[in-house]
Order: sequence, then structure tokens, then C-alpha cells
Amino acid sequence: MGVLRKIYLLLFPLIFAGCTEAFMPDIDTKPVLCLNSLITAGEPIEVSVTHTWLYTDEEGSRNNQVHDAEVSIYANGTKVGDDYLPQECDRIRIVAESPTYGSAEAEVTVPVSAPVELVNWDAEITGSWNWNKTEFYYWIGLRAKITVHDPAGIENYYNFSYKGFPKNEQTDDDMDKSQVLFNPGQFFYEAEPIFSEHISGLDEISGSSSFGFTFFTDRQFSGKQYTLNIQLNNAFFEIIDNGDLVLTDDMLDCGFILILSSVSQSYYNWSNYQWNVENGILGDLGEIGMVDPVWGYSNVSTGAGVVAAQARVSYTINLKDLLKSEISGQ
Amino acid sequence: MKRLLISLLGVLCLAYLATAQNVTIRAVDQPAASVFRSIVEQTGKNFVYSSELLKDIRVTVNAENKPLKRVLSEMFSNTTIEYKIKGNNIVLKRKKARSKVRKPQSSTHATIANKPVLQPNMLQELIVVSRLESPAVETAEIGAKKVTAEEVRKTPALFGEADVIKALHTQPGVTAGAEGMAGMYVHGGNADENLYMLDNVPLYHVNHFAGLFSAFNADIIRYIDFFKSSMPAKYDGRLSSFMDVRLQNGGVEGHHGTARLGLTSGAFNISGPIGRKTSYLVGLRRSWYDVLSVPALAVYNSKNEEKTNFHYYFMDLNAKVSHRISDKASGFVSVYFGDDLFKTQIKDEDFDGDFNGSVENEKYNYHWGNLVAQAGLNYRFKPSLSSEFTAAYTRYFSRMSHHDIYKVSDGTSVTVTEDKNYTDNNINDWIFRGDFDWQPADNSRIRFGANYVRHSFLPSRTTRLSVVDDRRTESRDSTWSYGANEFNAYIEDDWKVSDKFRLNAGVHASLFNIDGMTKHAISPRLSIGYRPIENLAIKAAYSRTAQYVHQLTQSYLSLPTDQWIPVTGKFKPQTADKIAAGAYWQTDNGAFALSVEGYYKWMHNLIDYRDEYYLKPPLEMWNARLTQGKGTAKGLDFKFEKLYGKFTGHISYSLAWADRTFADKNGGRTYPARFDNRHTINVLVNWNINSKVSLNASWTGHSGNRFTLLSQVWEGPPFDDSDRRVETEAPLRAPVNNYQLPFYHRLDLSCTVRNSRGYWTFGLYNAYNHLNVVGIKRGYKDTSYLTPNGYVFDSQPVFKKVKMLPIIPSISYTWEF
Repeated sequence: MGVLRKIYLLLFPLIFAGCTEAFMPDIDTKPVLCLNSLITAGEPIEVSVTHTWLYTDEEGSRNNQVHDAEVSIYANGTKVGDDYLPQECDRIRIVAESPTYGSAEAEVTVPVSAPVELVNWDAEITGSWNWNKTEFYYWIGLRAKITVHDPAGIENYYNFSYKGFPKNEQTDDDMDKSQVLFNPGQFFYEAEPIFSEHISGLDEISGSSSFGFTFFTDRQFSGKQYTLNIQLNNAFFEIIDNGDLVLTDDMLDCGFILILSSVSQSYYNWSNYQWNVENGILGDLGEIGMVDPVWGYSNVSTGAGVVAAQARVSYTINLKDLLKSEISGQ
Repeated sequence: MKRLLISLLGVLCLAYLATAQNVTIRAVDQPAASVFRSIVEQTGKNFVYSSELLKDIRVTVNAENKPLKRVLSEMFSNTTIEYKIKGNNIVLKRKKARSKVRKPQSSTHATIANKPVLQPNMLQELIVVSRLESPAVETAEIGAKKVTAEEVRKTPALFGEADVIKALHTQPGVTAGAEGMAGMYVHGGNADENLYMLDNVPLYHVNHFAGLFSAFNADIIRYIDFFKSSMPAKYDGRLSSFMDVRLQNGGVEGHHGTARLGLTSGAFNISGPIGRKTSYLVGLRRSWYDVLSVPALAVYNSKNEEKTNFHYYFMDLNAKVSHRISDKASGFVSVYFGDDLFKTQIKDEDFDGDFNGSVENEKYNYHWGNLVAQAGLNYRFKPSLSSEFTAAYTRYFSRMSHHDIYKVSDGTSVTVTEDKNYTDNNINDWIFRGDFDWQPADNSRIRFGANYVRHSFLPSRTTRLSVVDDRRTESRDSTWSYGANEFNAYIEDDWKVSDKFRLNAGVHASLFNIDGMTKHAISPRLSIGYRPIENLAIKAAYSRTAQYVHQLTQSYLSLPTDQWIPVTGKFKPQTADKIAAGAYWQTDNGAFALSVEGYYKWMHNLIDYRDEYYLKPPLEMWNARLTQGKGTAKGLDFKFEKLYGKFTGHISYSLAWADRTFADKNGGRTYPARFDNRHTINVLVNWNINSKVSLNASWTGHSGNRFTLLSQVWEGPPFDDSDRRVETEAPLRAPVNNYQLPFYHRLDLSCTVRNSRGYWTFGLYNAYNHLNVVGIKRGYKDTSYLTPNGYVFDSQPVFKKVKMLPIIPSISYTWEF
């Protein structure tokens, strides 16, 4: 995809044969409060309070914490304490006040987790390989179908994510130690077209892809159900055996955790904004004055920060039997 | 007082005969000008004369298929006028002035009645049917300009590509928009508020190559009528300006043409007679980029495993056939097709010796352009009443596709993944119109007409197909097409009340029916001219304009993603009310002219993208991304012109303000428009050194464009479900267009050198290589310095001015045959 952008550089050699010059614009700036929080149903609320800074102010970048702010949390209009566990449908309002930077507030409703079912999944060993009889690799591919039953009557936003278990935290010192490791592989974005519904025509002609973006809306299936095609490639289970490893069933206990979150609009918008400036064409063209520059999406009163919410449903796919069968068959 | 005006009569588009032309005409005591119209229609000749010359001249003639010369002699036998046929022109002079007529000073100059010198090629280009044939002091119109093909060719342009729209950029009150582009922003309006017409038929997409060039082939145009302040009642449908580009007609004296070869494109044009009553014109222009890119790609591919192939061109094809049916009727058919095509293919193979590996083949294909086909009939009911009937089809289309096939082989089996996207948008109009021109009295000219347009809009249709191991997933967006019916009727009277007063009053009424709803607009037009003395005119005007279709574009480039959409649903038609006043002065001989025009424009129901519109997925209905609001524009345009002589050109200065207010943009607060350029100066000089060499220079300078500078940043939220902490910064919102870029200035030069077979054109765009600032980006300044412990590298965040378009030389040769 990036090649297409190189082509544009070839096509527009003279246009882009420009240059840049560092300067300091004469423009007034006044820092304001920034609130960030991702509220998850059933988990305590954490709020980060920082302040904005002039882009060129390196000190502002390093030290943007606000220490004199007082933060209040309201659930459905009632002030609650730090230990409050938000529930689905809760209307959470966060207010922060600082003598130095003024006040900021934002409100979000914790979404209802959509009924989701893991229709089927199929994992297979796509290959195996060993190195010097001490390192054994088993490559695994996963295909799964997850059906979302979209609640009718409201706009819903979703995010798919995944991770592997157990969590491998290998340090440099562990590198040569006998052990087993699991890597959940790479997500194949093209397998599910709904992950590219946010890509505009302008992005398409610039060769932007859905890479890195797993959010979607219910615009194509409002009030109905939709089945996601999930594909993970090149996951691998690795056995490092220096001659002292005794492989037990427990060590084969690994796999994928598939997570489907119902997310607030603010979460979706923030992620969409990020994709647009990092992978879309708006960021590139904005810098050369060919489109209006885009600012960071925010639902905070000051324009800085994002207060988002989510409710998650997760499925675990255990590969123990698959690996056991494969290893014992060899 | 003796005053020379160059008045030119022609008739809409038609037929010509060879030099030995016969004419059939009957007129008894008719105004001379109305008889000329019939002769022009039958012969294709044009009359060149002073308007004073024909004052009170009436003629009687009765000819049945007689030679033109004999008819002219008969017609002027009892008048004080004598004629001379020079090429395709019939030049009229007063007999008693014969002794004052100087002989041409060189073979390339002719003098008419001791007054401004016209070059033959100018005469050729000034042969027009333009309603703007008279100088500004004579008409009631404000902000109107007839641009000749010669003026277009003499305006230096990027890559030496003569450009109609860029020639208009030199006019006061007209802003170019983004650097190097052929956009046009008139009196604080938007780019889609200008109606571009090709021989009376709207053209929706007027740019090539993202807007670097306009779609009009400058080699075959005759003239452009451009209106930006007082709008004639004939025109409506856009808020800011109307531009009617008229093509040349087929030649009558043998087959002639030009062939031009430039750095970026070439053109071939030919015209001539087909028999006695028919003529043709064919013009073709095509870019060379696909040829020029071959060596660059070869180098690129030789250094990369990934093989890339791309192909880009733009093309314009014009063809026109005119036919004289009788002495009262003539007709023509014409076709214009202009398109851009960009195709690319990227192939990446990675196999080992055992056929293990992958191959990816990715193709992009973008094709967009315009098609106009029309047939016209001109019919003269009587000398004072003529008509033009037109049936036309105009289509803008854009098709974009992306196809990616990825195959992975393990030596025994192959896994195939396919991704296919297809997007198209288009607008199709069927147009039927009748226009009438009636001169009931010498001092009154009434124009009236009506038209019906059947619109079909397809704003965007996207289909996506994904195939993964034989599993197909297909999705379509929810956008649908629209049909709309538009009806327009107008009437205007150009009334010369007295020698001092002239008035142009009219009204344009329109209906727009879509989705079962009918929207309407009444657009009154009035302009008044008062001449307290012969050389001075003072004018005032009011005009209301309405617009039912508008263009959605995310960028300041012209791209195939731009969509033309109708005003539908909750949106109201865009309208503008404009008042204007001006004073015009010219010297006795008409060689110098000075004007000042002021205007105030109120724009209602403007449509624009709302804040953060891009967060709405494309599948969302397009109107969910829009907001409606208002705007104002005001300003003064000054212009000093030198119209004749070795040196010609103009200096203009504009003082302007423009703002916008939208409920869902900039928090509902009023903000300056992007091209709110407070001061603009344009200087255009053409120096005809001799009959072979001419130099042209164009300098423009204006207050910088407005820009939204996002100066503060904040720490983004570390959201990520995969347990990775993502550090990110996001810019803080700021008032829209809160910063003004530095003053813009640029000098363009061109030189034309003639030889016996044609002419060379040399050009320098941005001659003194001043890179203008087009935007501001947030970046880093990397520095390194030596310390006792070694080199230290530092990267500091800084704002950077982005500058573009250095000096660009160009050369082209035009062969005339």
C-alpha cells in the first residue's frame, strides 16, 4: 500500500519538491485541563488529569501532570466515591477543577454489552519447524466466527480485540532457558470487510488500508445480527528445550482470548481519529494545506482528552488439545 | 468627440463558406446592425466597426444568392460607410475619414479610423458573439469581462500550459486557492459556486491532474464571457460567477490547424470546410506523463523487488460540425470528452526454489471525466429576432477500483485472498433549452428563454468484496441515486434609456423538484449605468443567485472523490444577494481604462462539512457530514488597463473580506474564509517587441491564505485492549482559520518567438524562485553536537512552514498549418 504513496511522489515531483522552514508563530496559547478515562463496566474508574501545552514546549511535554486538580465523579447525577463500580447504562460524569488550569468535564454512558456468540472456530497447525533439536515451533492459524446481536433503537459501536494466554513475559536473561512460549500471531484485517467501513474514498485512492483498526458500527446491521470473520495467522507455540524440559499438559495450556467490546461513541471516534491521522490521507494533506487540519477528537469540555466507556464480552479458545495431539503424533 | 470602439458581431456558432460566398438577404430600411447578423450567419464573416459609425444608419438591400461583395456594395451605396474584406473580417469605416486612415505600419498591424491598433491575430480572436463586445463605459454590467483566446495564451502559466481558469486568476476579485491549482474563488465564494459552460452547456468537472490544469483546451477556444458582479438573467444555478467558454467554429478557407508539443502535453487541432455549407473542428489534447514516467519507473523497479507500473494521462477531445441549413437557419453538433486515467499495478513475488512463497498483485484504477454532447439550431425569425435551441447531455463520472490478490503457496496447495473495492459517482443531465434574442428597437435588446434539465445524481456507490479461501463477503453502502427535474425561465432587457442612461433589468425563475419536494427561487437582476460624460460611467447593480447542486470535496485538490450532490432533505437551496457599484473611465482613444468596483454579498444556506465530519463512516449518508450556514463577502476591486499598443496589460488591486458562520462548525462562531485574502495585487504585462517576439509577465501578490494552526497538544488516552500502553499526542482544537500564512507573491514569465511555420513559447513559472508557504506542520528539528562524551543528537518539536513550487521552466512549439 505504501508503494502507492511513493507513486504519488513520482507523479507530483514538482509539487512536493518543496521545503520546510522552522519558525515560531506569533499566536496566543493558554493551557487547559485534559481528562482521560476509559470506564469499563464492573471495574473501578481511573481518571488521568493533565494539561495541554504549546507544541514546541518540551518541558510541557515531559511534565503535564496537574497536581492541584480536584476530581469528582457522578453516576446518574449522584456523586460517587473512588470505589464505585460502574454498571452498563450508567451515565458517568467526570468533573475536574484546578486553580491553575480551570475546569473540565465530560460525560459518557456505559454501553450495554451486545449479546455475542462464538458461532464456531477452527484452529489448525499450519506448520512445524525445529532448530537444532532445541527449539520447536508449531505454527497455528485460527479462524472464528463471532455473531453480534445488535440492540435495536440506538447507535452502537464495537471493537474487536484479542490477546494470547498465558502472558509471556520473557526477559533477555530467559532467552536460553528451557520453557514454552505462545505468540498469538497477526490479525488478518482483510478477512473482515466491516473493519474497513470507515475508509473514505479519499483514503482509498491514497492506498490506505484498515490495518490496525478493528472498530465498527452497526450502520450495516442496525437492530439485526452480524457475523464477524476473524482470522489470525502465524500464531506460534514455541518449545525451547535444552535437554532439561519435561513437557506437561499444563504447559500446553495456551490459546487466544477473543474480546468483543461494546464501546461508547467517544471511544470509537477517538480510535477513528487516530487511524485517520496515522494511516489516512487527512494527516498528510493537512500538513501541506490541501485539506483543513484535523484536531484530536475530544468529548471533554475543554477540547482536550477523551472519556470513554466499554462493556466487554470475551471468549477463550484453548489450544491444549490441538497441540497435545500434534506433539504426540510426532 | 471621436471615439473608436471595436464592436464585433458574430453569430452563435455557425456555418461558413469559402471566399466566393453568395448571400441571400432582404431588408428594407432596417438598422444596419440587424442586417449584419444575417450576413454573419450565412458567411461566417465578422464585422469590425466603431459603434458610433452605425448610429442612425439604416440600409435597404434585396439580394438573392448574390456574391457577398456585391451585396455589401449595394447595402452601403447610399451611406457614408465603406467596407473592406480582410480575411474573415469585414472592416467598416466612414468614407470621409479615408484621408485620416494611416497605412499599416507593418505587415502585422492595421489601423482603423486612426484609433487603436489591432493585430491581425487579435482580430481573429476577437471575432465573437460575446455579449461583452463593448467597453465597460458603454454597458450597464459590472464585473464582467470578455477574455480572448489571445489573452489566455499570453498569460504565463505552470508548465507553459495556457489555461483559461488561470488566466482569470489575474482578474481582481478572483482568487486561485491552493498553490498551483486551477481552482477559482470569486468574491469570497467557494470553488463550486462558479458555473463553467462550454458553448452554453454546463461542465461539472473542469480540472485535470488534481487541479493543476483546467479542462479547456486553450488552443481552440475563441473567448470566455465571465461575470462576477452583475449577473445577466440568462445565468443562474451558481452563487459566485458564470463563465461561458466558446469554442472556435470550423474554418472556411481550407483546412487549417495547429500542432503543439509541450513538456507535459501535446495538442492537435484542425478545422476546415466540408463542402459549401458545412465545416468542422477537431481538437485533441493529451498529456505525456505516462510516457515520461517510463524511465523513472524502470529505475525504480530495477532497485526494488516489488515491481510497480503506473500509467496516468489526461485528455480532452473536442469535435464540432456546423451546417448552414438556409439563410435563416443553421445547426451544429458537438462533442466534448475529457478524462483522467490513473492505473497502477504493484506486483510482489517471493518464492523459493520449492515453490514455497507468495505473490501479491495489487491494482488500482481511477477514471474520471466529463462528456458533453449537444446539438444546436439557430433560427432567425426576422432580422430583429433570432433564436438558439439546444439539446444537450452532460455527464460527469468517476470510477475507482482497487483489486488485491494475495496467493500463498506451500508447494502443494495455494491459499488465495482477494480484496476488491469499487466506487463510482456520477451526475447525468439532459438539457433542453431555447434562448431568444429580440431587438424590438434600436435602443432595446430583450433576451429571454427557458430550459428544462433532467438530473440524475449518484453521489457515491461503493461495493466491497472480500474472498478468503473461497469465503466471499460482500457489502454495499446505503447511498442511493437521485433524480431531479429543474426548470428555468428568464427574461432581460438591455435598454438604452438615453445617451446617458443604460439599464439592464431581468429576472430568472427556477424550480427544482427532488424527492417529491419542489424548491424554487426567483432571482431578480438589475444593473444601471449612467454616463455623466462620454468617458465616464457610474454603475450600480443588484443580483440574486440560487444554487441547487453543489460539490462535496474534502480537499483543495480536484480529485475523483469529489461528488456533485443535489440540495435535498432538510437542506435549502444556497442563495446569494449581491449589491455592487462601480465607476469606469477610459481615455478618448480607448487605449487606457480605469475602474473601481465595490460589492457586498450575503450568502445564505451555504453547505460545508461540519467539524469532525470525517468521523462519520462513508456508509453514513453523505448529508450527515454536512452543515448549513451563511457567509458574507465585501470588497473593492481597482483596475487600470492598457488595451492597445506594444505594451498592453493591467494592474489590479483588491481589498476584500470574506467570512462564514455554520451551526456545526467552529462552535457556531463566525470565522474568516480560507481564502480571505485582504489585499491582492495583480500585474499583467504583454510586450509585443516586434512582429515575431513578444514577452509576457504576470506578477501576483496577496495576503496569505487562512490556515487553522493547532498550536497546543494534549496527551492522548492510553486506550488499548491488547495491554499495550500507547503514548500519543493530539492537537487541541483551535478557531477555524485562526492564522494567516505569510504574504504570497510570484512572478511568471513567458516569451513567444514566431517563425515562418509557427511559434515557440518559453516559460518560467515562479521566475524568482520564491517558494510560497502553503501550510504549517508540526515537526521536529534534529540537531547534533559534539560533547566530551561524543556526539549528542537532539530532536526538538518545532512548527514548520511548508513551501512549494519552485521555479519551473517550460518550452513548447506550436506548428501552424
